[in-house]
Amino acid sequence: MKCPKQTFDAEHLRECPECAAFASTQRSVSAALDLWEAPPVSADFDRKLYARIEQQQVAWWDFLVRPFRPVGGPRWLPVAAAAGLMVAVGLWVERPGETPVAVPASAQVQALPADQAADALQEMQVMQEFSNLIHSDAEPRM
Amino acid sequence: MAGAAAALDYDAELMLRVKDGDGASFGVLLEKHRSSVVHFLYRMVQNAAVSEELAQEVFLRVYRSRATYEPTAKFTTWLFRIATHLALNALRDNKNERNQERLDDDTSEMPVRQVSDTRPTVEQNMVYEAKLAEVRRAIAALPDKQRAAVLMHKYEEMEYSQIAKVLNCSDSAVKSLLFRAYEALRARLAHMA
Repeated sequence: MKCPKQTFDAEHLRECPECAAFASTQRSVSAALDLWEAPPVSADFDRKLYARIEQQQVAWWDFLVRPFRPVGGPRWLPVAAAAGLMVAVGLWVERPGETPVAVPASAQVQALPADQAADALQEMQVMQEFSNLIHSDAEPRM
Repeated sequence: MAGAAAALDYDAELMLRVKDGDGASFGVLLEKHRSSVVHFLYRMVQNAAVSEELAQEVFLRVYRSRATYEPTAKFTTWLFRIATHLALNALRDNKNERNQERLDDDTSEMPVRQVSDTRPTVEQNMVYEAKLAEVRRAIAALPDKQRAAVLMHKYEEMEYSQIAKVLNCSDSAVKSLLFRAYEALRARLAHMA
């Protein structure tokens, strides 16, 4: 546009044919755009949206156990089973004296060196004598 | 914070209630803005099914963000920022698929024109359909950002400053976008007067 004012108030539009023409075409464009009505929103829009929201709100544990849930079974069953399993594992781990003994990797007995064997025999003999002594002391005196 | 939101706008206050666990307030927001979001997206992507899918994603994101929501701007600014972002992404992703075919094919989505006094004749209907197709083509031919700006300005009656916030640009950039967009539309549609 060449008009230096480029304003669209009624008074100026009466005086300036250039701005009047511009305003007229702008009104035409606006009227043309008014023709374009958007279609109505689907009736099930909200239902679909709330379904998606609900889907995202599923608890994390429910999500984890879902693959193991029996079809048609109660919702609490997998949770109860998981809890029972955890209790059972806990009891098994905590039982004293039942801790499995580590099995040696090899069943072969390694022979001691001669000097170590002699020392061990001597220690055993001393212990035997010590044991005899104790037992002899423990016998009731006649 | 709630007081600040109330001063800002009622929608932001509703959103803060959603943040506090009030699901009914989300329903109020959905009821209030559902149509405008869907219609904006429809005019952006020009496909009814896609626009509804995108609108669902918009409201889903709103709901998911409730815990971290802070009313730093008008609720509708935030809402249309999400909608515009999704629309621009969808347009970018489908750039190669977008063609004239879709414009011509989805006439079934077009609303039936309501004429209060008399039923339109076949000829009037044809003229209307031709004009409508031309409008849709003219809008579709605009660059994505210009299109978003025009749709928000024309159909959502947003002010320059709000469009600027939605598009994350300056007010003068919005004026420039709108000027160029309307110039292009004038060139294509002025004869329809």
